[in-house]
Amino acid sequence: MKKAKLFMDTVVEIQVVMNGTVTKELVETKVDRAFEAFRKVEQACSRFSPDSELMTACRVIEKPVQISPFLFEPLKFALEMAKWTDGEFDPAIGKAMEEQGYNRHYLTGKSIETPSADSTATFRDIILDEHDHTLYLNKPLVIDLGAVAKGFAIDLAANELRDFESFMVNAGGDLFAGGMDWNGRPWKVGIQHPMKKDQIIDVIEISNEAVCTSGSYERKNTNIPGMHHIINPKTGYSPNDCVSSTIIAPFAMLADAFSTTAFLFGREKGKTLIERVGLRGLFITSDLQIVRVGGTQNDSKEMA
Amino acid sequence: MAKMDRKWVVLCSAAVAAVYATGYFSTEAEATKTTLRQHPPINIQTNADNPSVAESKNQPKKSLYKNGTFTGMGENRRGSIEVAVTIQNDKITDVEISDFAMHYSESDVVGLPDEVLQNQNAQVSNVSGATYSTQAFQDAVQDALYQAQNS
Repeated sequence: MKKAKLFMDTVVEIQVVMNGTVTKELVETKVDRAFEAFRKVEQACSRFSPDSELMTACRVIEKPVQISPFLFEPLKFALEMAKWTDGEFDPAIGKAMEEQGYNRHYLTGKSIETPSADSTATFRDIILDEHDHTLYLNKPLVIDLGAVAKGFAIDLAANELRDFESFMVNAGGDLFAGGMDWNGRPWKVGIQHPMKKDQIIDVIEISNEAVCTSGSYERKNTNIPGMHHIINPKTGYSPNDCVSSTIIAPFAMLADAFSTTAFLFGREKGKTLIERVGLRGLFITSDLQIVRVGGTQNDSKEMA
Repeated sequence: MAKMDRKWVVLCSAAVAAVYATGYFSTEAEATKTTLRQHPPINIQTNADNPSVAESKNQPKKSLYKNGTFTGMGENRRGSIEVAVTIQNDKITDVEISDFAMHYSESDVVGLPDEVLQNQNAQVSNVSGATYSTQAFQDAVQDALYQAQNS
């Protein structure tokens, strides 16, 4: 069974491979709940809806606001990443994203602007209280959870489907592969060719793992050459050492955040980062070289 | 291979658990209810082309769209596509794509310079890449909204 819906400005495709032991009704109920996870995370974390939980909370300054786990948890993860990278990854980047034109809702076509937001704000101005589940902002700012929210939604969806032997949650190229595929073999996942839309450059095999790719070849900034939707919070420019960064991890939120951070870091520093946390992945550099990072390197065939 | 840093894995599994622990996500018992009831209106406004509607919030107004599910057709580079857009109280609550599949066959696989590829014997139906946008579906969504419009 396979269904596709639009969420978070991409196509979310959920597939459960049917076998004799599960009923169609159960699969449909679970798949609906998996999609519901995307709906809930989007409602909580969208920077593009003025009345999302995130944008509502961002309008309250110097006062704790209680937030749901659909917002609290991915934000907490993003802040941990920001601390760990000393702000080279920073969810306070939302205002800069708005200014670059990444502010249009994909369904309504409406653009959002937050003129009051302080573009010098950093993650240090965002404070979470674990005990009360509140968010406190030192300054007016716009939080961007573009590197974690979709991953989190994939993880929640996968959790809903975990009792099935074989399933796939694919959100526009970030995915979690549950169990084995319909042939009882590890899921094959192609890695998108950065220049040729219909082609892939590699195939990886995974089972009960997530794969997320951050790349510069979709969502380019049409006004400024070289700029795209990943922006270095310290320089305000888009990094272009890599054209894509793919990370494999046990959770999609983990793969999502680290693929973005590795992209920001570029091939050398990105490789160190990924190997330090014991993940694995694959970068495609701007001169179209494939750099495999982490893992056992057994699947690396050509790297001398 | 370095041992995987547990800290990040623990953060992720705790994040998933937190959603269930707080009862924010309906539990198993409620699962059936979830599928039976209508989806709640969400935060997406569908009045993009009617800015006046947002301002007239306090006055009683006729809804822009009929409630229900409407089919829209569109074209993208892979051919024609069909979407089913569900509207509740002038908000889009669901966009389902019918007949949408992206397939990559063996012949689509190419190598980058110096890249040798193996094991590409089976069709690969899932591809990881930079997140593609929904632009290709916009015409179809618009078409469905057009069908849903109150005259």
